[in-house]
Amino acid sequence: MELPPHLDEKFRELMGRYPVKRSALVPMMLYAQDHFGFLGDEILEEIATRLDLNKIEVEETLAYYSMLRRKPAGRYHIQVCTNISCMLRGGHELYAHVQKRLGIGHKEVSPSGTFSLEEVECIGACTGAPSLQVNYDFYENLDPDKVDALLEQLEQGKKPQPVPVTSGSLHERLPAETLVISKRFGIRDSRRMDVYLAHEGYQALEKALKQMTPDQIIEEVKKSNLRGRGGAGFPAGMKWSFVPKETNKPKYILANADESEPGTCKDRPLMEMDPHQLIEGIVIAGRAVSANQGYIYIRGEYRYLIDIMDQAIAEAYGRGYLGKDILSSGFDFELSTHTGAGAYECGEESALMESLEGKRGYPRIKPPFPAVVGLYHCPTVINNAETLSTVPAVIRMGGEAYANLGTPRNGGTRLYSISGHVNRPGIYELPLGFPLRRLIEEVAGGIRGGKKLKAVIPGGSSCPLLSAEEIDLPMDFDSLAKAGSMLGSGGTVIMDEDTCMVDVARRIMHFYAHESCGWCIPCREGTSWLRKMLDRFHEGEGRAEDIPLIDELAKNMLGRTFCPLGDAAALPTISIVQKWRNEFEDHLRGKCSYQAADALAAAP
Amino acid sequence: MADQKQITFTLDGRPVRTSPGTLVIEAAKSQGIEVPSFCYYPGLALQAACRMCLVEVEKMPKLQTACTLVATEGMVVRTMTDQVRKARKDMIEFLLSNHPLDCPVCDKGGECELQDMTFRYGLDKTRFAEEKLHHPEEKWSPLVYYDAPRCILCFRCVRVCDEGMDTKALGVGSRGVHSVILPNKPGELACEECGMCIDICPVGALTSGTYRYHTRPWEMTYVADPCTHCSNGCKTTLSVRNNEILRANNRDHSGVNGEFLCAKGRFGFDFATHPERIRAPLVRRNGKLAPASWEEALEEVARRLKQVRDAHRAETIGVIGSNHTTNEENYLLNRFARITLGTNNLDHHRTADYVGLAAALGPRMKDSLATMADVYQAPAVLLVANEVSNQNPLVAWQIRAGVRHHGLRLYAINGRPSKIHRQAKIAVEVSRGSEARAVRWLAAEQGRWEAKTTESLAALKAALGAEHDVVVLFGAEIQGSAIRDLVSWAGRLGGKTKFMALGDYANSRGAADMGILPDRLPGYAPLSDAAERARFGKLWGGEIPAAAGLTLRGMLDAATQGKLKALYVVGANPLKGFPGPSADRIAGLDLLVVEEMFLTETAQRADVVLPAACSYEKEGSLTNTAGEVQLTHRATDPQGPRSDFDLLRILSHQLSLLGMGAPIRLRTPAAALDEIRQNVSGYDVLPATLLGGGAELAAPAPRPVESYEPPEGAVFSSNDYLFTSGTLGRYCSRLTSTNEARERPWSSSPSTQSWWHR
Repeated sequence: MELPPHLDEKFRELMGRYPVKRSALVPMMLYAQDHFGFLGDEILEEIATRLDLNKIEVEETLAYYSMLRRKPAGRYHIQVCTNISCMLRGGHELYAHVQKRLGIGHKEVSPSGTFSLEEVECIGACTGAPSLQVNYDFYENLDPDKVDALLEQLEQGKKPQPVPVTSGSLHERLPAETLVISKRFGIRDSRRMDVYLAHEGYQALEKALKQMTPDQIIEEVKKSNLRGRGGAGFPAGMKWSFVPKETNKPKYILANADESEPGTCKDRPLMEMDPHQLIEGIVIAGRAVSANQGYIYIRGEYRYLIDIMDQAIAEAYGRGYLGKDILSSGFDFELSTHTGAGAYECGEESALMESLEGKRGYPRIKPPFPAVVGLYHCPTVINNAETLSTVPAVIRMGGEAYANLGTPRNGGTRLYSISGHVNRPGIYELPLGFPLRRLIEEVAGGIRGGKKLKAVIPGGSSCPLLSAEEIDLPMDFDSLAKAGSMLGSGGTVIMDEDTCMVDVARRIMHFYAHESCGWCIPCREGTSWLRKMLDRFHEGEGRAEDIPLIDELAKNMLGRTFCPLGDAAALPTISIVQKWRNEFEDHLRGKCSYQAADALAAAP
Repeated sequence: MADQKQITFTLDGRPVRTSPGTLVIEAAKSQGIEVPSFCYYPGLALQAACRMCLVEVEKMPKLQTACTLVATEGMVVRTMTDQVRKARKDMIEFLLSNHPLDCPVCDKGGECELQDMTFRYGLDKTRFAEEKLHHPEEKWSPLVYYDAPRCILCFRCVRVCDEGMDTKALGVGSRGVHSVILPNKPGELACEECGMCIDICPVGALTSGTYRYHTRPWEMTYVADPCTHCSNGCKTTLSVRNNEILRANNRDHSGVNGEFLCAKGRFGFDFATHPERIRAPLVRRNGKLAPASWEEALEEVARRLKQVRDAHRAETIGVIGSNHTTNEENYLLNRFARITLGTNNLDHHRTADYVGLAAALGPRMKDSLATMADVYQAPAVLLVANEVSNQNPLVAWQIRAGVRHHGLRLYAINGRPSKIHRQAKIAVEVSRGSEARAVRWLAAEQGRWEAKTTESLAALKAALGAEHDVVVLFGAEIQGSAIRDLVSWAGRLGGKTKFMALGDYANSRGAADMGILPDRLPGYAPLSDAAERARFGKLWGGEIPAAAGLTLRGMLDAATQGKLKALYVVGANPLKGFPGPSADRIAGLDLLVVEEMFLTETAQRADVVLPAACSYEKEGSLTNTAGEVQLTHRATDPQGPRSDFDLLRILSHQLSLLGMGAPIRLRTPAAALDEIRQNVSGYDVLPATLLGGGAELAAPAPRPVESYEPPEGAVFSSNDYLFTSGTLGRYCSRLTSTNEARERPWSSSPSTQSWWHR
């Protein structure tokens, strides 16, 4: 099939990025879809031929990713997020409004072909909720009037300026914040190399390459008590030290920027405003474990960030911070981005590797762990984008100094994406151990409209919820674990007294059922069953025996699934049933009395 | 020594010694402890997805999957605790939540792993009050149907198709609870139709087009027979109801094929009830074949054979044997030809040069033959010619399994592209027909090639030089002196080299072993050997003529020239498939008698047609191309036709009354096998093994022969592929109903290329 030159060139470039060309499959499909509007038989045959794949291998990979489609969408594909953070701020109402305004439903295309609509899971704009995407452009802090204006302009063929995080929801910096990795946020053109260099940029890399041995780098990161920012909180230095030194195989550094945990959008500003910081962190990690190739896996919805990262990578190559013989140290490092295409599961490290290898994002059996058998079955360090973005600061200021910013065993600072019913949603950098109550009241400006607090998701929707009585604790990994929850990804979602907790449980389960990969039985069947039950329950069709059954089914998934997604679905559910059982009992008397009826009608 | 290598761990309170690396699920099985599982399947990639095999391990906080857990020294595992029992119950509950529970009409009812697990480990009530997911059933091919709601997504089918078959015709569509199995074309399968996916499916999600909704498993009787088609000798379990085979599969995995069956073994049984099957004897009257009684027909045959012999000489009678009748029948036919009829004009369509292999190996043959198991276990295999993935599917399966499981290294020299080359470490593609020349190059570095080919051959030769215990497989392209070259060169490789000649049909090897040859007696004894002639003559009650007879082609030529007057054909169709104009080839014959199942091109020209039973309708033994002997049993009653064994036996009595030879006294195939065991070199096989359903290697030890070259054109393959099977294949409606049957693998059409040789 004859391809337009730009696509042909993109295909060639993508295929050149990886040692195994199948890795280019998902990006090729996504870029082809951008051009053709959908993936038809002909282009899939073409891709299969170029990658030496069977059609079925292409089809089954395609079928896994929710952004890839076999049928045309509208010229403007409107994707309205109704996940937890957006839901709390009117996401469902917004979605209902768009449905009415366009006269089309979920995954439908308007007769003129101008619009198509999709209710989507968290798009990582939680602090700007409610939000939507038009194709790849983000529009945040919306209400029905703003959406009408947006759609009107689109109808007229104008494209309103998208609202990325820098120009929109990034707040003034607060005195309570400790700026380490976000200190360049807000500086004009902070993503550019010159600006980065003027603000301590690449100093850490210089230090790491010229004054430190790989072991010293690992030692420094260990001292920093830097724990994984993706959710599990595993000490980064220790993870690096597991990589075998004696091996003939190539080694890889993977930056996990597949940010998809509902309530979390911290990697966005990190890449949007400080892409070089991430690049620097990756190269240092490469030096520490003697890896010479890295990939930044970025969720497909963040296309503009991929473009930004690609630009920054090109700049870094141009200035000799990437490529051969970096800073005349003899150390080589190659880096490129990799796009996902809509799959929460690919945030799980082994699923991410499968996905990067061009397959369905199924998790892998562990052990072996990625440090030994990772990408392309080679030793691999995989860290969250925020973790790697922190590495330059750790090297620059020294592990101990960084550690001292936080509490014992919980070094440094981290970014919190605060969303929900607060006056000042936003992304804030706070030291580990910062009190949750102050985070809500002082940093986020307290509950919107003078309402009372009901519940908090401390670190993304996988965490057990805390009630208003449980918020007097420091935000660090160990304190939250002690309180029966998790610090997770730092996606803190605040809910006020008018929130229906059954609806929260329902919406959270919808997400996990949608994102369950289908590999293992308890997660695949459990999330689906619970989703249906919670829908029914919220609709007022619940039975008394359903309440303990919801709790039990969640527990039947817990600890028995192949990967942590089952736990992620079970834990918040169990906590909600246990802490807000009265609300479930209230629903036995009929329809939900906690929210307006039109919001229910819009529920998926 | 062995003890030092073992580890000990505790399983349900008892100490278990096992080798390091053993999975707990396997160790448990060896102790008679069942750890239930759906996705775990020995030999396929680990999945750990069904979570049925969760067990408790001391010092591990969470339950562990026994299918991925490697037993280590001192480990303490419990499989029967309350926690484990509860986990199993919960998994079954999850599984059944979207399962349709249409067990009363499901094909799998009664032999369903999900049913069995639910019975043993499940809940006694359902708590699922939501709507179940539904998908309509899909017909993927005339042979394979998919019912998505029943599918438990264990991915066994996907894995066996990918790993086992290297076909990769199945994938997974959608995601999460909506996941389904996808065929490789929209709603349709384009594949080898092996049906492995059906067999391996633990539930009724993948069902067989030949069997679905026909009957219940407990209404059938089961008879395990060697497959009647290709030469690999796979065991296929025939499921019979009301004297009709309704299904063939391989559920007990006890044959030389393990779990494997191809399309022919699984679906190629309906020829037995084909409407064109001849049910009564036919005798030509006034130029037309007309039904006759057995008495009439047999009397006619005997009388006219006697006439020909009296009018001419015995040498004007020819006998053509079969490569799918039993060893006992071939043994009888040998005696019938040489003693009763008094002719050495005896041959069959030779599809591999077994005689050449016997001549090249001589007495060494005894311990130089590779079994099907050897192919799998070999550290290295050299394959010369033959498109094994089509012609010898079990051999191909064994090679793939060896590569996958223990890194078997395949070396191939071939004139045709083959899917198996994807497994090869080195595959040298030479021009078609020059495979023997390539062998000569290996042996003596003689013959000129393109530089590139020479380089590849040299690389292959060097690599094989470093191998040991190589198994050498070769097709019909390698015969006579080429086999001698191959044996003399490969025999000098490291360790013990073993050989296998790859023939075409269920008893191709047996026909050669039983001496259906103009110049060989049973066990490759040369006819020229007077002592052997005397030995068999004594045994058979007559004198064997000394002069070698005509080959099959020689007989046809003699018939054309009017030198051959009578031709007796058993289970063969020489007028089709042999080069040259066929219609006039037999113009000079006074008598043509054919024992057959169908009115083949040859049978149509016959004076008398005697309807014959197929191998699923009779007792006897078959020898696969490796030399493995297995018993075949009567699964159904032939309803009219009789076994070739009975026909030959009865005719010998009739002819004896007319003064032609002594009657055959062997009343049953079992008695004949007994005589074979005592008198045919290599066939001293253990009856107990055979009676137990097992296979015994027949390894003759022929006397050394100076040199041997088969007659020009005597050995050639029919090049059948997965959907043809000589004459028989035409009457297998299920096989011919597939799209793939229309796409011959050796044609050059692009649609064919797309999946046969990808």
